[in-house]
Amino acid sequence: MSGHARHVLVIEDDAETADQLADCLKSNGYEVDLAADGEDGLRRALAADYVVMTVDRMLPRIDGIEIIRRLREEGILTPALILSALGEVDDRVRGLRAGGDDYLVKPFAFREMLARVDALARRSGTVVKETMLRIGDLEVDLLARIARRGGREIELLPREFRLLAYLARNAGQVVSRTMLLQHVWDLHFDPTTNVIDVYVGRVRRKIDGGQDYPLIHTIRGVGFCLRAPD
Amino acid sequence: MLLTKTVWSSSTLKLAFIYVIAFCAAVFGLLGYVYWSTVTYLYEISDRAVSAERGVLARAYEAGGRDSLVALIDRRLTDPFFVDWFYLLVDPSFDYVAGNLKSWPATLPGHNGWSAVASLNWQSEAAKRSPLRATYRILPDGHHLLLGRDIKDLDRFGENVTIGLGSAAVLFLILAAAAGISTSRRSVARIEAINATSRKIMRSGLGERIPLRGTGDEWDGLAENLNSMLDRIGELVETNRQVSDNVAHDLRTPLTRMRGRLERACNQRLDLNDYRSLVNDTISDLDEILTTFSSLLRISRIEARDRTAAFCNTDLSEIVREVVELFEPAAEEKAVRLQLSAGETVHVVGDRDLLFDAISNLVDNAIKHGGDRGEVKIGVARCADGPVLSISDRGPGIPTNERHHVLRRFYRLERSRNRPGNGLGLSLVAAVANLHDAHIVMDDNSPGLRIELHFPIPQGGMPSMSDQQEQAWAIGVDRP
Repeated sequence: MSGHARHVLVIEDDAETADQLADCLKSNGYEVDLAADGEDGLRRALAADYVVMTVDRMLPRIDGIEIIRRLREEGILTPALILSALGEVDDRVRGLRAGGDDYLVKPFAFREMLARVDALARRSGTVVKETMLRIGDLEVDLLARIARRGGREIELLPREFRLLAYLARNAGQVVSRTMLLQHVWDLHFDPTTNVIDVYVGRVRRKIDGGQDYPLIHTIRGVGFCLRAPD
Repeated sequence: MLLTKTVWSSSTLKLAFIYVIAFCAAVFGLLGYVYWSTVTYLYEISDRAVSAERGVLARAYEAGGRDSLVALIDRRLTDPFFVDWFYLLVDPSFDYVAGNLKSWPATLPGHNGWSAVASLNWQSEAAKRSPLRATYRILPDGHHLLLGRDIKDLDRFGENVTIGLGSAAVLFLILAAAAGISTSRRSVARIEAINATSRKIMRSGLGERIPLRGTGDEWDGLAENLNSMLDRIGELVETNRQVSDNVAHDLRTPLTRMRGRLERACNQRLDLNDYRSLVNDTISDLDEILTTFSSLLRISRIEARDRTAAFCNTDLSEIVREVVELFEPAAEEKAVRLQLSAGETVHVVGDRDLLFDAISNLVDNAIKHGGDRGEVKIGVARCADGPVLSISDRGPGIPTNERHHVLRRFYRLERSRNRPGNGLGLSLVAAVANLHDAHIVMDDNSPGLRIELHFPIPQGGMPSMSDQQEQAWAIGVDRP
């Protein structure tokens, strides 16, 4: 990718939210361009090469969904994270159908937003189809669907393997409960109970139980992260 | 007064008049044809008799010449049977020879044909002045013969028919107008009753109802439907009011907590750690409020039925298996045994996300309230009246008199008031069930609660009942 590899476009009409978004992204190593309305946003997105953009759903002049639709028509595939106050699944589906890559309902935790931007940024980077992921002494074989820790095979149910594989693909990044529900269970709603935590807890016992160091970490208030110790 | 005004502007009346006009046109057309064909037929009969008489006269002339013809005419004039006939024979210079007319009519041309002749030409003064219908002919020796009949009776018949038709039409118009006005008055009166009730409701609230007449007609049907609609609206408004009260209560509590905390932070000197924990507590309180808000919004949107577009054929057994798999670790933690019996595919037309969410809520409740070391049974079966999902636990259950209430928003049983939760889970289940036309049955599992969701039979009929072998297996959870 070019030198713009860490450049994010934020299209957001509320000045304070835009500043907060920019702050959060900047302190995590992104360069940020702000656009306060749909027209400006569309112009910038067409002109420069961004690694990710966040788009407010309701914008002055040009609606967020419309921006994404026009960009996709022009063949510009910059991953787009839609940020919206309209939370129902129908809106999400509409946004994703227009070419949006992910959807987050306002208000959101900034760490959740960051987790999703990270996930999208990595996707837009060099896409290497790795089939064997290694995190510390954990090996995840995506083809054979086998996980090993320290060379010993770990028995996982199919769903548990999917969960581990998703965490491994996003190793080092924070993954929220809603993201897990979306990518591992293909469900589009926000879990209201701690059931995901308990489920991850069981996978953690299988992966980390009796090992020298833990790999699956709980990030309080946000979700989980699979990472090797520094 | 208002009523009279509205009668005249009523669409029923306009419609009645249009019908009257159309009907009149049809009736006039029909009667006109009858009149025309009857009169024509009568004239034809008369003309045929005249033609026959002309033949008789012609034969008399051929047999005995002019004298024989004059004799026959004179005989006819004295014959009472021929009283309404008339004859005139004139010589080539149109001078009178015989007959009961004075002279050859001036308007009549001197050649063969039919015509109407004015009655002024009658020879006898006593004769009535009536129209005549005549035929005339030039004889071989140059004499002109006129022969005809009085058509006064025919004309009178025609006039009678015209008068009859005319008065019938006038009578018809009056009757139709009266019927139209009375129908309009009736419907306008009923509509006005409905309007009056609507105005009262707009002014003073949903207490008013449209009066019924007890006639069981379509107006009563309409009024009944409108009344039950008003009942339903009333219920919704009442529910809404309760919900707003509850929302206010449920939001005030954490908001008050947060406000107090912030006020304290403002007034007291705290160290950095105190500040950090204060901010964290506030964020988690805010998250709680937001969760409650999203759940409420979600329930309202499901209740607004704007999600049936995403419906498709889904396998209830598959969803239940996935839910059970997701909750297995949570059950394990509480040493609850989840027992699933969902063998074959059971199709339901619905939304997978919503069904998953609703079933999750039920299973979550069963695990939470089912008591430690309990057992939760989850089953999917095809019954004769449609797919049934059942979830039963061994907990304290829900008292019979409270079963109806637990589906309401924010309703919480006394014993679970201090447990985490917002009292919206079962409301969501109820909303999802409603959206899927499923009904909820709550039963005593003695001990415990048994909740069943009865789904309607998917369109296109259920698969055959013969293969209803239920394969039951328990997802074993090792007790710690």
